[in-house]
Amino acid sequence: MDRAAIIGVGMTKIEKSKVRETFADMAWEAVNKALADAGMSIDDIDNVVTTSSDFWDGRTISCMAVGDASGAADKNTSCVEGDGTYGAFYGYTRALSGSYKTTLVTGHSKGSQCISSLITNASFDPICERGLGMDMITACAMQANAYMNRTGLRPEDMAMVSVKNHGNALKNPMAQLPMNITVSDVIKSEMIADPLHKLDCSPVSDGCCAVIIAHESVATKFKQKPVWIRGLSLCTDSFFFGDRDLARSNALVEAAKNAYKMAGIKDPKKEIDIVELYDAFTYQELLWLEEMGLADYGKAAKLLEAGEFNINGPLPVNPSGGLLSGHPVIAAGLYRIAEVVMQLRGDAGEHQVKKAKTGIAHGVNGLCGQSHCVWILDKER
Amino acid sequence: MTTKQKKGFEDSYVVEGKMALPYTYFAGSVGSKFITTVRDEKKIMGVRCPTCNLVYLPPRQVCDKDFTDIRDNWVDVGNSGTVTNFTVVRYDDKHMPRKAPFVLALIKMEGADTPFMHILEECKFEDVKIGMNVEAVFAKETTNTILDIDHFKPVAERASIQERNAGRKKWVADNENAVHGKQKGGKPDMSKPVIIAAALTGAATMRNQNPSVPYTPAEFATEAYKCWKAGAAMVHVHAREDNGMPTHDHERIRATYNAIKDKCPELIVNLSSAVGMGKTAEQRISQIIAVKPDMASLNTNTMNFSIVDRKTGKIFIEYVFENTFTMLQEFGKAMEENGVKPEIECYDMGGLDNTLLIAKQGFFSEPMNFNFVWGVAGGQAFRSDAFIAMMNAIPANANFTTCGVGTDQFPCIMQSCILGGHMRVGLEDNIKMPNGALAKGSYEQVEVAVNIADSLGRAVATTDEARAIMGLRKK
Repeated sequence: MDRAAIIGVGMTKIEKSKVRETFADMAWEAVNKALADAGMSIDDIDNVVTTSSDFWDGRTISCMAVGDASGAADKNTSCVEGDGTYGAFYGYTRALSGSYKTTLVTGHSKGSQCISSLITNASFDPICERGLGMDMITACAMQANAYMNRTGLRPEDMAMVSVKNHGNALKNPMAQLPMNITVSDVIKSEMIADPLHKLDCSPVSDGCCAVIIAHESVATKFKQKPVWIRGLSLCTDSFFFGDRDLARSNALVEAAKNAYKMAGIKDPKKEIDIVELYDAFTYQELLWLEEMGLADYGKAAKLLEAGEFNINGPLPVNPSGGLLSGHPVIAAGLYRIAEVVMQLRGDAGEHQVKKAKTGIAHGVNGLCGQSHCVWILDKER
Repeated sequence: MTTKQKKGFEDSYVVEGKMALPYTYFAGSVGSKFITTVRDEKKIMGVRCPTCNLVYLPPRQVCDKDFTDIRDNWVDVGNSGTVTNFTVVRYDDKHMPRKAPFVLALIKMEGADTPFMHILEECKFEDVKIGMNVEAVFAKETTNTILDIDHFKPVAERASIQERNAGRKKWVADNENAVHGKQKGGKPDMSKPVIIAAALTGAATMRNQNPSVPYTPAEFATEAYKCWKAGAAMVHVHAREDNGMPTHDHERIRATYNAIKDKCPELIVNLSSAVGMGKTAEQRISQIIAVKPDMASLNTNTMNFSIVDRKTGKIFIEYVFENTFTMLQEFGKAMEENGVKPEIECYDMGGLDNTLLIAKQGFFSEPMNFNFVWGVAGGQAFRSDAFIAMMNAIPANANFTTCGVGTDQFPCIMQSCILGGHMRVGLEDNIKMPNGALAKGSYEQVEVAVNIADSLGRAVATTDEARAIMGLRKK
């Protein structure tokens, strides 16, 4: 099988509200940063994949809206609706198709301009569910409850994730919410939907991220050192909540298993050096780690407490601060990829982890992790 | 549209807009029927997948697990269920159907396998628990939406049998002063707690007749546990293979027996010494000796034991169930020698007389425990007067229970309860409820038996009391 690599990344700072920037402004910044990072000009890009969602963009056919700022004029352009990791997945398959050499993938959103809860409410079944007021937060609150009920996880355990990730963000200039907080601060923060406190939830954010994926034949032709895509898989669970076991994530188990298999990874606990995952809510970091096989089921909180996932621990998780420190919907998964790429290259600056050869970037589509996309990236081919 | 400028951002116009796009949603034929049934009949319907047997709620067209078209397999899932998950919504928003705070829950309806979402009201937030029982409250005025179920509320909990029994005086045998019903001028002794037994499978009830029939040891354990929680003191077991065939394999029978005992250690387990059609005498008794259950069935006469169409009289399966005098003697002795109390199965008066004849040898320990079986094609159908004749024929200090095939089940146990006897229910004998609906499990029939006991003012026996009454070994 052919190989592909990520040869350039660029991201805007994640902010609560980029009042002075349009989607195109954000894309312009991220794309130019990615091109500069790769040592490329826009003419070196032969196709573009944008990632967007009509309702988050507040316009229909949103896929065509940031083409100009992404340098897509006169190029083969396509769009993926969903998280950025899925756009990048498409970009990767294009690279493998043999028809494309260099794919630019972007993902953008401005949560500040919309009411996310109304958008996520409208994702529920219009006949049987929508009228009941379900949305992302109430749904994830139920999932947190299911997970706590199954594993005995306590609110304090979830709060530790918030403490760690907001703490990590102190060293990441791109993060929106660097905070020095304690477990008690999290527990005392406003209850949004039981058992989720405000500081268990990721914020509303604006941001854009771009990555450049190259086929192996051109991966080393540009300035930047390529980071290789070793394993990649996605898997989707049932739509209706009642059809799923909310306390588990079979889709993530499958996606991770297939990604490990593709990468030839036998013992992920030993072979993975750094993880950037989709912690839209505190409990998700623990649940996702367990379902990816990086901790035994119900045991991630113990490892977290022991410092295993700290930035200087044996398996740093979300050294960037994760989604809890900035959650631009759609772009969030691309940020995970870009962060892992920088960590593996040793370019992460102040939040650089010590030893990182192989890393996981993880994205989610759908509510309560209905679908998961797992990337295994490696600094060596 | 209006425009506004944030303070400090006077150079940046912000336009207030709205994505309000009218849309008509077709509910689909399945969704339409679901909503209209809720509206018109105040009934919640799901669909069952004929391939994997899962009952889906909300109903849909295609099974998510095996890609089967399931749209026409409607089942009534009942109006009550269990909370599997919930949250207290603490924020107000345009899309919320209630003012915060309120509870949203995932609710698994009694007859469904997948929980669905709804609002939970009429209870304190701190009382909401995963596993609590709730029931639907239908809206007074229809909106033609899912909110025609206005909300769910907690079901008033009936104290469990175990709780009720913990609150009453324990029954103890009073052999000195005990008087048999016959000696009290036919007045039955209603002071004795009634023992409810559940026959979980039998040899012939299959899953295509009732999907709740257990096959594996784990399924037996789950079913037995439900029956015990519902009020049964004993379960009667014919072990099955994974494919449902009755088995005489010692290991499988022991695994089934142990699985039940592990899940509910105090429950009395009564194994069949009939096992299933075509088993040899050796196959039938050796497993009893090997496993040594608390109790085992002892069959009393060679008889037709067939499957005959009840309406047309057409013979489907012809079978002679062999229980010679020698077998009655040898099985009975083997059980008594191994501490296994025989449950003496009488399919008619002849079987009872056979037993009394052999009993003259003196090997049966007291008290003897008889089960009057009604409605086997080859035995006698249930008749009230025949019941009384049977009762009058057993020894003075013997116990009697009863079971009936199909529609004989509930009348015969009711009569037994009235006469101071005991009751056996379960899917072995009958797959249905009194109203003709499929029983969700033997436990549902146990609940009917408990209601009968309650109506007559008889206490339901604990497992300890049942052991004392029937003279079983200590657990």
